[in-house]
Amino acid sequence: MLEQIKKTLTDFDTEILELNSSDELETIRIKYLGRKGILSQLFDDFRKLTGNDKPIIGKTLNQAKIDITNKFNQVFEKFKSGTKASDFYIDLSLPGRKSLVGSKHIITQTLDEVKNIFKGLGFSIYEGPELESDYNNFEALNFPDDHPARDMQDTFFVSEKFLMRTHTSPVQIRLMKEKKPPLRAIMPGKVYRNEALSAKSYCLFHQVEGLLVDTDVTFAELKGTLVSFAQQLYGKDVKYRFRASFFPFTEPSAEVDIWWEQQGKEGRWLEILGCGMVDPNVLLNVGIDPEKYIGYAFGMGVERMALLKYGIDDIRLLFDNDIRFLKQFISV
Amino acid sequence: MKISLNWLKEYIDLSDITTEEISDKLTAAGLEIEEIIDQRKVFQNFVVGYVKEKQQHPNADKLSLCKVTDGQNIYNVICGAPNVDAGQKIPLAKIGATIPENNFKISKAKIRGEVSEGMICSERELGISDNHAGIMVLNENVKVGNSLSDELGLDDVIFDINVTPNRSDALSHIGIARDLSAIFNKPLKIPEIKLKESERDINELASVEILNSHDCPRYFAKVVTDVKIKESPEWLKKKLFNIGLRPINNIVDITNFVLYETGQPLHAFDLDLLTDKKIIVRNEKSKIKFTTLDNKEREIIITDLMICDGKRPVAIAGVMGGQNSEVTNNTKNVLIESAHFNSSAIRKTSKRLGLSTDASYRFERTVDPNIPPYAAERAAQLMIELADGKVVKGLIDIYPEKIQPKKVSLRFNRVTRILGFEIPKESVLLILKNLQFSILKSDDSKIEVQIPTFRPDIEREIDLIEEIVRIYGYDRIPPVQKISITLEERIYQDTFNDRLRDILVSLGFFEIFSNSMQKEENANKFGKAINVLNPKSYEMASIRTSLIPGMLMTIKKNLNVQEKNLRFFEIGQIFNRGKDGEIKDFSDFIEESKLLLGITGKATESEWYEKDRQFDFYDLKESVEQTFEFLFQGVQFVDLYHKEGNNFFEYYFEREFKGNKVGIGGKIRQDVLEYFNITQDVFVFDVNLDILKQIQLSNKRYNELLKYPKVVRDFALIIDKKIDNSDVMKFIFKNSINILKNIKLFDIFESVSLGKDVKSLAYQLEFWDNEKTLTEEEVDKYFWDIIEKTKNEFNAKLRGE
Repeated sequence: MLEQIKKTLTDFDTEILELNSSDELETIRIKYLGRKGILSQLFDDFRKLTGNDKPIIGKTLNQAKIDITNKFNQVFEKFKSGTKASDFYIDLSLPGRKSLVGSKHIITQTLDEVKNIFKGLGFSIYEGPELESDYNNFEALNFPDDHPARDMQDTFFVSEKFLMRTHTSPVQIRLMKEKKPPLRAIMPGKVYRNEALSAKSYCLFHQVEGLLVDTDVTFAELKGTLVSFAQQLYGKDVKYRFRASFFPFTEPSAEVDIWWEQQGKEGRWLEILGCGMVDPNVLLNVGIDPEKYIGYAFGMGVERMALLKYGIDDIRLLFDNDIRFLKQFISV
Repeated sequence: MKISLNWLKEYIDLSDITTEEISDKLTAAGLEIEEIIDQRKVFQNFVVGYVKEKQQHPNADKLSLCKVTDGQNIYNVICGAPNVDAGQKIPLAKIGATIPENNFKISKAKIRGEVSEGMICSERELGISDNHAGIMVLNENVKVGNSLSDELGLDDVIFDINVTPNRSDALSHIGIARDLSAIFNKPLKIPEIKLKESERDINELASVEILNSHDCPRYFAKVVTDVKIKESPEWLKKKLFNIGLRPINNIVDITNFVLYETGQPLHAFDLDLLTDKKIIVRNEKSKIKFTTLDNKEREIIITDLMICDGKRPVAIAGVMGGQNSEVTNNTKNVLIESAHFNSSAIRKTSKRLGLSTDASYRFERTVDPNIPPYAAERAAQLMIELADGKVVKGLIDIYPEKIQPKKVSLRFNRVTRILGFEIPKESVLLILKNLQFSILKSDDSKIEVQIPTFRPDIEREIDLIEEIVRIYGYDRIPPVQKISITLEERIYQDTFNDRLRDILVSLGFFEIFSNSMQKEENANKFGKAINVLNPKSYEMASIRTSLIPGMLMTIKKNLNVQEKNLRFFEIGQIFNRGKDGEIKDFSDFIEESKLLLGITGKATESEWYEKDRQFDFYDLKESVEQTFEFLFQGVQFVDLYHKEGNNFFEYYFEREFKGNKVGIGGKIRQDVLEYFNITQDVFVFDVNLDILKQIQLSNKRYNELLKYPKVVRDFALIIDKKIDNSDVMKFIFKNSINILKNIKLFDIFESVSLGKDVKSLAYQLEFWDNEKTLTEEEVDKYFWDIIEKTKNEFNAKLRGE
């Protein structure tokens, strides 16, 4: 019976290619697809079968019916528009049928790069709320009340004791309160600064902070970790420098610059992150003994990295979400 | 803060060190140099020129055509200043020069038809004073053709230093020189003071009383009589101008000079304007108005510390002096205030008044409480030298509780443990000594260090460790290129959102980040907004209560640039008030994690194989269903349909999981779109990720593949138009036996030939049995049975019947 089906298909193919008029087309339809046509007979025969190969035959027969129907319809359409089947011409240069494409925002893509590097270094990833208490955002992090250090970060206050977090450091506080050392984690997330919008600054941005607390942590190790990070992100030969700085929650503190050269422009040092050894006051605030445990922490801004990487000179472009901009980053 | 290299050199020998080296080392030690202004470079193309001829410009009344020589060539220069004349020696900016005042680059230009090959500059244009009355006419004895920087001594280098808030000690030239002394191991030279005092005793001329010693722990005063108010000498004016200060008169300039030399803010009162020649440091008993010397009236409240005379306030302590007692051209006798104020008190006043001055900036960072005598005497000495004043004998020093230096111990092994690197003991000791810390005790393992009172930031061992390493150099610590990993559990709290992003991108959505800070009006439209206490603009006065306004604004912005076919998603936090009143606790508000999908415009554009088509509700639904399928294949969600709409949606549906709403969305109402000025349909779906994340997926098990053939049957019902597909499907499933495994709607059709108020719904049913092959007869029996029941239930007809 399989032979019969195969022959039917071949016969159909030959006949349909040779036909010349729509009358002949109707003849073919009746012959193959009609109520008493060849396929219908084949189905009648099939129902009477009993052998083991019945399922296979059934499947083949079904497929044959589909194929013949499809081809017939195609030719039928062509005839309607006055083309003969023998005029079939395949234009392979037609564009492929489109499916939808989308993209992750470059902030996400840049963040992913950073996260992947630190995942590889054995860091966990924690998140925390954006509307935070003054305690978690400042006090626990050794920002004295009424100290100019608070001016470093213009803050959106929503009440005397609550604010939009100015950095992801409060997640460090939450983590250290919740879990005991050893701790090794990065905390990505949105942070807010009460600043007027300009090409250089936006009222929110994304930060990745890292924290490691263990018994034998040193500044040299912090340096090693961050150098490795910079090399993975900016290439093995990246030129970097660590310089002293000030953050209330680390002591000693440093900032890391890399040497940045753009074609046609003079090279310059660019700050990429801040870091330091967790201030003993911070450890005390979360109930960790600073004589026993030492920690290091670091933080970086994601937007800044994205701007640098793609040569974008206005941070507001990242938040305008112009589709013409977003479409440029389908692949990066 | 601007620091002059020439000025620094008065306190430390830097002759063998390059500017670059100074800049690099200061930066490395935590005093970040943000900009270097090298005057020699600034004045590279400026020379002394000589005006040989001056003629009227033929086409402009106010311009002159000058022939100017630099000794070699003659240039045509057009000048607009009325005071220019032949025979003058003038500062000439040649082609290639950049004017310091405005960064204008000089090139050959035609001005009203005449060529100009340079510019004759005023002092203001050169950036060396505020004088813009006319061009600067140079001294007779300068040599034509010489560089301007040589002839005018414009050879300074100005560093703009970003001083971190902990380093109040570094807010002066001596402070910076002290760090350089430690960095380069060179001695620091502090100017010595030898005061020749007059016979009169200070106590006859003035008295001081402190009524609030908490906010004013010390008040030191000197009196200088018979001063002559005049312009300061060139060297002083230049020093001040170079660091960005405007010279005023010799007395005021001296106080500013000492401030930038020592870091101690001073104030000079006209002693004769102080009632009863008295200073009383106190607070007001009620709100008052007070006019500061910038001629602005300010409101003073009872917590503001005031400097008063016998009857009225004369200065806002540590912030700014008053107009009623300032030094004027008529001043004869001066009281120099050199006081110590509580940092927090000054900060509160300065912040409240929005008035930050050189003085308040330093006081709020804490000034050395033991520097006032030196600073006052230094100023007194300069008043003798530059104002012909006489310093009266003695001093007034109200300092009830002397602030003593702190003592801190340092363990050498702790330094090594923190840094992971050993700094030699000798280096440690030398660095501390050069920073003017004294070693009180020492043994092999530790030292006791006395901290000078100008370093309030050093309180603990760890602070000393930072001092040592910042001077020693972070770059000398080798990075340890290994990482020891404790093998505890790794937790990735971001996994869910990452997966969600991947899914949405694969479904053709573009990710957006919109601003969480919004207009109060927008935030309140979609929830109970939390407002910012201190907004910088009304556009950012509230926190978003929903992702919808951000989405609609984004769509609007894209429509403005003719981008009309959009598929966006945003993942972000939203914030709603839990109750009215002040937020005092986390329970007073709700922060939720949300996903929002938004689609508008065309779903497909015209292509060679298909026609274009607008997005509609079913595109939105499909995206939602696909997303959920990717996340939770096999999990049952219940959809509730609302044709009647609500405040935001014309019609919408909600998706539930075990009675919890996980999402809501549909077609945005016309009035909402109008509010955002959007003129095309928008569909959004809003998903609560906090709930979604909690849905546990049971462990995936493999299902055995089907061994027996499926039997497929189609039928079409002609049915009342108002009956929902979902009701028909539900009925069929409920009333069939278990060999019916799948049912699919494959066609909907309405036409006049069918009849009024009816539609045709065509279904395909799939039957199979996991245990055996179904016979056609068996299936047909069930099939016709289902059709009969369905027809009866919905009063429908079978199509073709």
